[in-house]
Amino acid sequence: MNKTPEKTSLRGMAYASMFSALMAIGAYIMIPLPPVPITMQTLFVMLSGALLGGYLGALSQIGYILLGIIGLPVFAGGRAGIGVLIGPTGGYLIGFVAGAFILGKLTSLRRDPGVFWLMGAITAGMIVVYTLGIIQLMIVAKLSFLKAVSVGLLPPLPGDAAKIIAASLICRKIRRHIFNRI
Amino acid sequence: MITLGQYINNNSFGHRLDARVKILATVILSLLIFQARGWEIFLISSFVFIVCFICRLNFFSIWKALQPLVWFAVLLFALHLFFTDGTVLFTAPYLPVEITAEGLSRGLIIAWQFIALALCGVLLTMVTSPSDLVHGLTYLLGPLKYLRVPVQDIAVMVSMSLRFVPTLLEEYDRIKQAQIARGSAIETGRPARKIKSLAALIIPLMVSAFRRADDLTEAMEARGYARGPRTTLNQQHFGREEVFALLVLGVLLSLVLTSQFLRAPFP
Repeated sequence: MNKTPEKTSLRGMAYASMFSALMAIGAYIMIPLPPVPITMQTLFVMLSGALLGGYLGALSQIGYILLGIIGLPVFAGGRAGIGVLIGPTGGYLIGFVAGAFILGKLTSLRRDPGVFWLMGAITAGMIVVYTLGIIQLMIVAKLSFLKAVSVGLLPPLPGDAAKIIAASLICRKIRRHIFNRI
Repeated sequence: MITLGQYINNNSFGHRLDARVKILATVILSLLIFQARGWEIFLISSFVFIVCFICRLNFFSIWKALQPLVWFAVLLFALHLFFTDGTVLFTAPYLPVEITAEGLSRGLIIAWQFIALALCGVLLTMVTSPSDLVHGLTYLLGPLKYLRVPVQDIAVMVSMSLRFVPTLLEEYDRIKQAQIARGSAIETGRPARKIKSLAALIIPLMVSAFRRADDLTEAMEARGYARGPRTTLNQQHFGREEVFALLVLGVLLSLVLTSQFLRAPFP
């Protein structure tokens, strides 16, 4: 998957745009897990990077953000518009792009990554997502670091731990479907 | 949910206006909505209502589009109403709940922001066809191509995912019903089982989505799709109407900015 931008195939583009659509739907797939219900968005962030590789994964996240900017209610909680991007939670959206890129690059370092390599790569990507998210939360909502962490990191943490495991397993199962095709 | 703000074909000033201007107006409005306090709220609200009127949208269709979000707005309002500290206005008997003046005003503002933002987005998508939207967005993002961002490819991708969203949503509903019929524990059951049944939901969804993407790729290749700048059926135009719309927007922007500057001058 080490392809230069000019060489992304049409199939790769179609897969990436499909992940943008999955992200949009992921905002509406809610699983009631304690303590807070989780959405499937971060799961699709993980899968987009892990399955498509860094470059296409990041493109799919950019496509998702653009869907929201042109007014489709695809951001978490049915929101839309450029205001969300510069609002308190906008850092997570930017983090999705960076996180998908980094975890995709890490995944494609190995030819056939095992479950533990995938888990490590995805965890690294999620750390990027939350770092960017919390930085913007601190700046825009003027919260202290501890408060931002307790609002922006701790509630989704158990859900995300579960999602990292689920994403690694799902990735192992689906990978052969699309491997050698992009 | 996805019927929200579907394009309604009509011929009004708002429909004829160039998509670039409309996107720009929505972006500026959503920035203003986030900053608005006091009488600016009334200014922006009346502006949005006038735009609805000019675009000849009937209020029933707007209401239908906003209806699913109203409950969320009410929830946000209640959240701020009950959990903000300040001067107590009213204490509910028998309940550990106090309603404060700060809570009331903040809740109203937050709920208004939410509805107004949603209304702007709905308006944009109701009077602009998706292909025009994508085309306008490509133009506005054009400068990014000097940073080696593949703007053309991204535009094609966004229009593809616009097409994918309703299909996949339908597919998701079907898979979910099928799995529940087979005894999936997605809504009941312990966390560990929920994760398992989640995988049983996500994997079929993704495999089916990849298959659809494959079909689309083959269809596009068979029709001779080529990379590069694309032409569209409707050309973008920048005429007198666009200048007028930008002027009105400028007046609104300067009014709100002046009011903000008067309220809190820079230190």
